[in-house]
Amino acid sequence: MVSFVTARPAPQAAGTVCSAVPVGRKFLNTHTKKQTDMDPSEVEFLAEKEMVKIIPNFSLDKVFLIGGDLGPFNPGLPIDVPVWLALNLKQRQKCRIIPPEWMDVEKLEEMRDLERKEDMFTPVPSPYYMELTKLLLNHASDNIPKADEIRTLVKDIWDTRIAKLRLSADSFISQQEAYAKLDNLTLMEINTIRAFLLDTLNCMYKLRSNVQ
Amino acid sequence: MPCERKPMRYGHSEGHTEVCFDDTGRFIVTCGNDGDVRIWESLDDDDPKFITVGEKAYSLALKNGKLVTASSNNTVQIHTFPDGDPDGILTRFTTNATHVTFNSIGSRVAAGSSDFMVKVVEVSDSSQQKTLRGHEAPVLSVTFDPKDDFLASASCDGSVVVWNIEEQTQVISWPLLQKSNDVTNAKSLCRLAWQPGMGKFLAVPVETKVHLYERGSWDHVSTLSDDLLTQPINVVSWSPCGRFLAAGSVGGLLTVWDVNSKLCVERQKHEKGFTVCSLAWHPSGSQIAYTDTEGCLGLLDGLGTSTADKNTTKVAAKKPAKDYDDLFDDDDDRLMDEGLSDTKSPAKKAVGWDDDDDDFLVPATGRVKNRGAFLDDENSLDTGSLKLGQDKFGDNNDDAGSSVAPAAPPVAPLRPVYEGPMPTPPQKAFQPGSSPAHLTHRFMMWNFVGIVRGYNDEQDNAIDVEFHDTAVHHAMHLTNSLGHTMADLSQEGVLLACPSTEELASKLQCLHFSSWDTNKEWMVDLPKGEDARALCLGQGWAAVATSTLMIRLFSIGGVQRELFSLPGPVVCMAGHGEQLLVVYHRATGFDGEQALGVQLLQFSRKKRQLISGEPLPLSQKSYLSWLGFTAEGTPCYVDSNGMVRMLNRSLGNTWTPVCNTRETCKSKSDHYWVVGVHENPQQLRCIPCKGSRYPPTLPRPAVAILPFKLPLCQTTTEKGQMEEQFWRSVLFHNHYSFLSSSGYEIDEDAQNLSQKEQQELLMKMFALSCKLEREFRCVELAEMMTQNVVTLAIRYASRSRRMALAQRLSEIALEKSNQMQEEEQEEPEYSSTRRSSGYGHTNVMAGGRYSRRHNQQEEEEDEEERGEELMEEEDGQEMEPEEATETKKRVNPFAKEASSPIKPSPTPIGKMGRANPFKVPDSGKMSASSGQPRVTNILDNMMSSKKSAQLSSSGGKPSKSPVLKPLAPKPKTKTQSTLLQMAATKTANKKAQENTEPAANLQKRPDTPPPAPPADNSENKRPKTGFQLWLEENRKSILADNPDLEETDVIKEAMGRFRTLSTEERLSWTERAKGQSGDAADLKKRKRAEGGEGLENENEKAEADESSAKKKKSLDPSSKLSVFAFNQN
Repeated sequence: MVSFVTARPAPQAAGTVCSAVPVGRKFLNTHTKKQTDMDPSEVEFLAEKEMVKIIPNFSLDKVFLIGGDLGPFNPGLPIDVPVWLALNLKQRQKCRIIPPEWMDVEKLEEMRDLERKEDMFTPVPSPYYMELTKLLLNHASDNIPKADEIRTLVKDIWDTRIAKLRLSADSFISQQEAYAKLDNLTLMEINTIRAFLLDTLNCMYKLRSNVQ
Repeated sequence: MPCERKPMRYGHSEGHTEVCFDDTGRFIVTCGNDGDVRIWESLDDDDPKFITVGEKAYSLALKNGKLVTASSNNTVQIHTFPDGDPDGILTRFTTNATHVTFNSIGSRVAAGSSDFMVKVVEVSDSSQQKTLRGHEAPVLSVTFDPKDDFLASASCDGSVVVWNIEEQTQVISWPLLQKSNDVTNAKSLCRLAWQPGMGKFLAVPVETKVHLYERGSWDHVSTLSDDLLTQPINVVSWSPCGRFLAAGSVGGLLTVWDVNSKLCVERQKHEKGFTVCSLAWHPSGSQIAYTDTEGCLGLLDGLGTSTADKNTTKVAAKKPAKDYDDLFDDDDDRLMDEGLSDTKSPAKKAVGWDDDDDDFLVPATGRVKNRGAFLDDENSLDTGSLKLGQDKFGDNNDDAGSSVAPAAPPVAPLRPVYEGPMPTPPQKAFQPGSSPAHLTHRFMMWNFVGIVRGYNDEQDNAIDVEFHDTAVHHAMHLTNSLGHTMADLSQEGVLLACPSTEELASKLQCLHFSSWDTNKEWMVDLPKGEDARALCLGQGWAAVATSTLMIRLFSIGGVQRELFSLPGPVVCMAGHGEQLLVVYHRATGFDGEQALGVQLLQFSRKKRQLISGEPLPLSQKSYLSWLGFTAEGTPCYVDSNGMVRMLNRSLGNTWTPVCNTRETCKSKSDHYWVVGVHENPQQLRCIPCKGSRYPPTLPRPAVAILPFKLPLCQTTTEKGQMEEQFWRSVLFHNHYSFLSSSGYEIDEDAQNLSQKEQQELLMKMFALSCKLEREFRCVELAEMMTQNVVTLAIRYASRSRRMALAQRLSEIALEKSNQMQEEEQEEPEYSSTRRSSGYGHTNVMAGGRYSRRHNQQEEEEDEEERGEELMEEEDGQEMEPEEATETKKRVNPFAKEASSPIKPSPTPIGKMGRANPFKVPDSGKMSASSGQPRVTNILDNMMSSKKSAQLSSSGGKPSKSPVLKPLAPKPKTKTQSTLLQMAATKTANKKAQENTEPAANLQKRPDTPPPAPPADNSENKRPKTGFQLWLEENRKSILADNPDLEETDVIKEAMGRFRTLSTEERLSWTERAKGQSGDAADLKKRKRAEGGEGLENENEKAEADESSAKKKKSLDPSSKLSVFAFNQN
């Protein structure tokens, strides 16, 4: 029968898990990591707590875990489980994953268009949309219709948002603003820019103070 | 009149073709879909001359060297014959002409067209045209009256009209044909023919018959028919002599009648069975040339039309009665057809589907289906809508004829119109949980176990079997070489069946994957002429319903078992465990209703029929869409209106609606496709289908869960809600009683839980009714409660100062106890399991308790005592372990209950118990008549109820029921003393009982240390056993023998000695113990010999105090109530 991983592994060293972080990656690798930074794998770890629907192909009574009770699992009946469990079961071919509602080509296209149109950040379907897309598409692409299109679309949205983020960071610095709003930004996005931005600001501060 | 059928030869490309002879009969002239007119010198002419007249040629006529053709450029052209030179355009239409014909002398040409018009044109001068308007659909055919006065035409609007050419008016119109919207959709081309010569008769092909109408009177004078004609006649043609009439039909049958005798003189079948679309007689009358819709030309030769016939007088003989019948039949058929094309009819839906619908259409199945269903209907609808703007008549197509000819008086006999209820076409057999068979990708079965999918496209004809639980079996992929259309799936195997083909019999295939041998498959051929219609799998058996109204049972391993006949054609079947549920057509339904019957059989050791052919209730104008069992084994079905009904076994096998899936649908065309029903937890598993009735196979549909809801009134109110919950709970826990009665194990915890839930709901409703001052309703509710809960209700009522109510409730409580006692006596098991509205088990317990109180009193009280002991010390069992186990076995939960902490204090027990052992039953008996003793009885009830209540609350805190707060303590009353007395009797009785089995007790004794000698007052209250008595007497001698012995050792020694005594001696000691009035040695046995004596005694004391304290506390509320009860009196 099914045995559960009741303790899920903590994120491993950075760099092995998520490669979708074009900006932060360089800095993570080149600079010594500060305590305040969050590793993409850590963000991913948080994302794995999100719930996703699966259709198990086994039956099991309730499982009692620290994070809460899961189950009972009835074969053929959809049930909500955390992503980490869903992926684990999927890898052992114990379930089929039902993609989240927003993981749909039409909806994502709409979102992408809106994202491109708006100057501000638009609300995202899930606070972990990038991580979930990555995880689900890597492990369960056979359960997700039009997986390739979805991957492209999410990447488009991500790129658009990161571009916006860089632009606003640029204007933030050039106009010497004191603060910036981070509405509708996801954790992953914030962490992508955080290391770079903070270091830059520090650096600039040093330079400026030397000038004066 | 034997004739020779010449072999067919290729004439034109596939499509409509026409044929005629030239005037001399030298040439056969044909036209066809390729737009050529071919002129054949004979049938063997391998190089016919051809004239190209257009892209397509629809019709041709030839006379006097002029060839008239209707071609696809919407014109009617003339060519010279035989040269084939174009000779001008005769006339034009807005769309193509469908039929052209010459008059008898060749001066005029009549042409009917798809633009509803008929034109009559002078050949010599095409400007002289007469247009005949009045048809409401494309014209099928035209024919001239040989005398040139009239012209007859048939149209797709269903009418055959005779026109006066000069006046351009309709003379008469007969609604004879089926309506259609285009010539290509018409069932028949309906080529009319007017008898040559005098033109006495007009021959009209109507369905499979030819009607003859008399010129002038326009009466329908006779009908030519032939039994072999099963398909509509396309074309009729008179022989040049006018005596014979040839007809060609859709199925390729050529028939020649002698019109005078109305006998069929010649029958020929088209060699390939293609539809004959044109016929022409050789001018000599000895040959008939014909063409079919595949473009081939054929010839019948050697028709001896010259042979004289004798009886020619019969012709005029009218047979009105027969005609009447014909008309009526015809009418009826049409109405049936109307019914068929009803969108609601499932049969039609299946038919209406286009076979080449590809998978992309599947998601929108519902709509497409509806469209498909209209395919046939559209014709009539179209013509109906075309009628708009013209004279309005009823929408009934019977009126169509008269509406076409408003001027003409109805010469034809009045047609009787049947206006009563119309029969519904019976729904076809189906497999519950499957999507329609005509889909290329479909679900053949979706049930609890798994999914069977069927693929039938160009690349693949395969079946996929997938299991929800992969632990059952791995997924399977089978090639479907036999063309299986039906499937069922169980934990043991897959059952497949295919219909019979021309060569192969209908087959049943079973993949018995759970078999432990190596042969995992078997196959059975059904007898010839028998087709599998429905199948199902149960546990260890398979069933197939066949077209011969039989159900054949097989074992899962392939052994043929019973077979039996069904009263009607099967609709579907379902199996579960040992139950088989069959639904069949009981009769013909009317006005959209289905008349279904249901049978439920059980194949357990005692095979029987649980439901024998009762009508299956369906929603109005709906049909059955799913049939099955809940996972727990209760029959269940869904109709096309989305109503889910479940069998209510506790209400005489009636069907209760439990859910309406349509209520949760967002749009009208959405449906839920039910795949399973669970009673515990209450789940209706189904697949939401947007805009259709069936889910597509891709993307994989996800199962949704719907809650059940009984359609009770006013479920928005609190009362309604609770009532709904209560009855739903009752209904959905019926399966426990069924399962236990058929010998299955049941989850008693769950059952008790559900019963508790029901009782809680009842109590809530009770409280609500109390609040609303509905005391009568309260009593009604109390009737449904178990006795224990009634006592709670009594307390609630008394607390809320409803004395009258409490009074009535106490009567109910009494009744209930009596009733249960009777039931217990009669059929203890059955009654308890059948009780649906109560704590089934608690009932038994309570009932059992009461019966024992009255009848087997000692035993019962012994149990009370037992409980006390259990609670107070573990070792207590040493005295009568046998008996204890015995009682435990009988009423298991009782032991638990008895161990609840409220116990009468042991102190008064010993003394008072013996004093009046039969007091309780006496008062109980009296209570029936007198008021006062009843009170005691109620209190009695309350005692027990409190215990069980505490059991459920599990707090162990006495006297705190969840509903009621403990009342302020009051001085003890007489009643309480009664209670104590009651408790005391128990002990006394127990003692007596105990002593009846001393030998057994004593034999057990050595296993455990014997109790210490009495050292405490409290211990003296217990009755002594024989051993103890003996020990008392012999202690001294033992001590004398071994002065240095410890107390425990003394007892050990004593035990040894006592055992060496003979049986008689031991018996005498026990006798003495029994007879001894000394205060029971009973308490002593609790004593732990191992422990220090003094300490033990102290403990004992403390314990006793505690328990008595508990007792007092626990009695408080009831004593309060009893005070009230007395006040009442």
